[in-house]
Amino acid sequence: MTSVVLEAQYLDKFYGPTAALSAASLSIGASESLAIMGASGSGKTTLLHCLAGIIPPDRGRVLLRLGGTETDIAALDERRRSQLRRETFGFVFQQGLLIPELTALENVAIAPMLSGVARRVAEDNARQWLGWLGLAGLEDRRIGQLSGGQAQRVAIARAQVTGASVVFADEPTGALDSRTSDEVMDALLRSTTAQGRALVVVTHDADVAARCSRTVHMRDGRIQPAEVAA
Amino acid sequence: MIPRLTWMLARPTRESLGVTALPVVAFGIVTALLIAVLGGAQAFWSWTDDLAITYQALAIVALALLIVPLTTLGGSAARLSARRRDDRLATLRLLGATPASVGAIAVLESAALALVGAVLGVVASFGLLPLLALIPFRGEPLGLGSVVLPPLALVGVVLGVTLVAVVSAVLGLRRVTISPLGVRTRQDAPRAHWILPVLAVLFILVTALAMSALSGLGSIVAILVVLAIGFGGSIAVLNLIGPWVLRLVARGRVRRARTPEKLLAARGILESPKAAWRQVSGTAMVSFMAVFAGSGAAVLDALSGAEGADSETRMLTADIATGLTITVVISFLMVACSVGVNQAAGILDRADLYASLHRLGMPPAVADAARRGTVMVPLLVTSLGSAVVAAIVVFPLTGAALLLAPLSLVVIGAVLAAGILLVRLGLVATAPLLRRASLSVPVSV
Repeated sequence: MTSVVLEAQYLDKFYGPTAALSAASLSIGASESLAIMGASGSGKTTLLHCLAGIIPPDRGRVLLRLGGTETDIAALDERRRSQLRRETFGFVFQQGLLIPELTALENVAIAPMLSGVARRVAEDNARQWLGWLGLAGLEDRRIGQLSGGQAQRVAIARAQVTGASVVFADEPTGALDSRTSDEVMDALLRSTTAQGRALVVVTHDADVAARCSRTVHMRDGRIQPAEVAA
Repeated sequence: MIPRLTWMLARPTRESLGVTALPVVAFGIVTALLIAVLGGAQAFWSWTDDLAITYQALAIVALALLIVPLTTLGGSAARLSARRRDDRLATLRLLGATPASVGAIAVLESAALALVGAVLGVVASFGLLPLLALIPFRGEPLGLGSVVLPPLALVGVVLGVTLVAVVSAVLGLRRVTISPLGVRTRQDAPRAHWILPVLAVLFILVTALAMSALSGLGSIVAILVVLAIGFGGSIAVLNLIGPWVLRLVARGRVRRARTPEKLLAARGILESPKAAWRQVSGTAMVSFMAVFAGSGAAVLDALSGAEGADSETRMLTADIATGLTITVVISFLMVACSVGVNQAAGILDRADLYASLHRLGMPPAVADAARRGTVMVPLLVTSLGSAVVAAIVVFPLTGAALLLAPLSLVVIGAVLAAGILLVRLGLVATAPLLRRASLSVPVSV
């Protein structure tokens, strides 16, 4: 494994009496792709949310190692975690969850704009990413005018445009047919691990997991022994 | 079976209580305001002297002005009630329920929520009426006895509000029964032809000229006809070009937006300028009327003061100003409630999106600022634009008011500003809902 960029140590998370995570520990390399698999309710989405600083765990640490500094995400307040999600992480959700009234270009540009980047600069970067992901010429289309695969590539561009060190994808191909799913995974891997960035994918799909360099399985909030993909 | 299914789907659970309560509260507000307006109008009908007919005519004008914001508010409440059950009804259709049974459930649920809301509104109106009774007309407070509606009228109001909900449910039902998947399609807003605004400007200019030549018409009938065409025509023109103007403004703002919230707000308006207009259109008519009648009343008051007019005339002009202020404030209050209800429905609709944007690192304050912009920009354009059009149409009057009673124009401006502030409060009231949606923890583990 390359140098560790994100490490979870003994994470516990409870929803009422239900343990969504129990002593979950794992680490992710800087240019590694990790698939988290498991049945519904196994805790995989909760793990992803804890790793990404969306929710804090009840116990345990989530260490982010970047540029020689180590930050415990779990110990940060909501404002700092929010800033981290904006500037250091990227997200791709199952149905893209793009903003329907914005164009493809604006959907991508809004991510750096949130961090204070000037609109013109943000749109230039966004245009480059869209072009790189095969969406040149579709910049001014609104999300409803794109196919599912195209919309998902817009979401990938949005996740990357801020220069995210780690991209989290929650069922990124869940709503797509197998061919489009392959294309989206190609785009996702090409724009992350191939660029030295880490990718964490939550998926039910064994084919998607097989494309990642490593897979962990979850059951009842616990990480099962990891298996290295062939 | 259908009532049982309806209860199964509609019964409030701990999770859905807020969502169920919203349409009930909205219908309650509609009912309480409607009762207050009718109560005020009823008081005018208790008078029988020579001046009574003048007051009754003015009450009818005020009621006519309040119809648009009231129906907008009623429609918003009904739409909110319809939206919260769309998904469940679509699921029922997928499970094989017939369109007739889905229709019956939808109508029954809407009617039940509206009925509960309307009854609560009647109760709430008893808190409102004592305040209404204190408002002075003809030199003395209206009095509680004259503003309280008879029981039969209250039953009529409750049934009327429920009927609005039923009609809205029936109209909104087609989408669910036709499309079990509940697929929503978004279309570009229809573009108005450029000739429309040109004709609108021409109409305003011709009306302004006709109004300035009013005194030369001689016949009182001709004056009334020109006034009616001028007023009614200007309102119609405002409604016709309102969405077009909003579209134009929003396009400019999209180009100029430098921050995410401004871009989102401008795109939000551009998504459907007609919907943006519909939400605040009630203020167009009232702003127009505030300037139109406000200037007239101010000039009349100034002239009657200068010429030593009798106390009756002075009282009438003072009462016109009072009635106008109340109409403007109630109208803005209805728009504020309507905005609040629409915003609540919009937040519920987009809860997943708001949660995902928060996960991306968008602070809830940015999403809130964007949402405020989608309402406040159309509101300012609409209310101020209508006021300016009114000032042009009755330029001789506004000019005279400016010279004879400049303070009255300040009062009109202050009343409009207070109305705009009310709408802003309606937005503030729904901010916690947005924050909750943004910070919601995903259900799946």
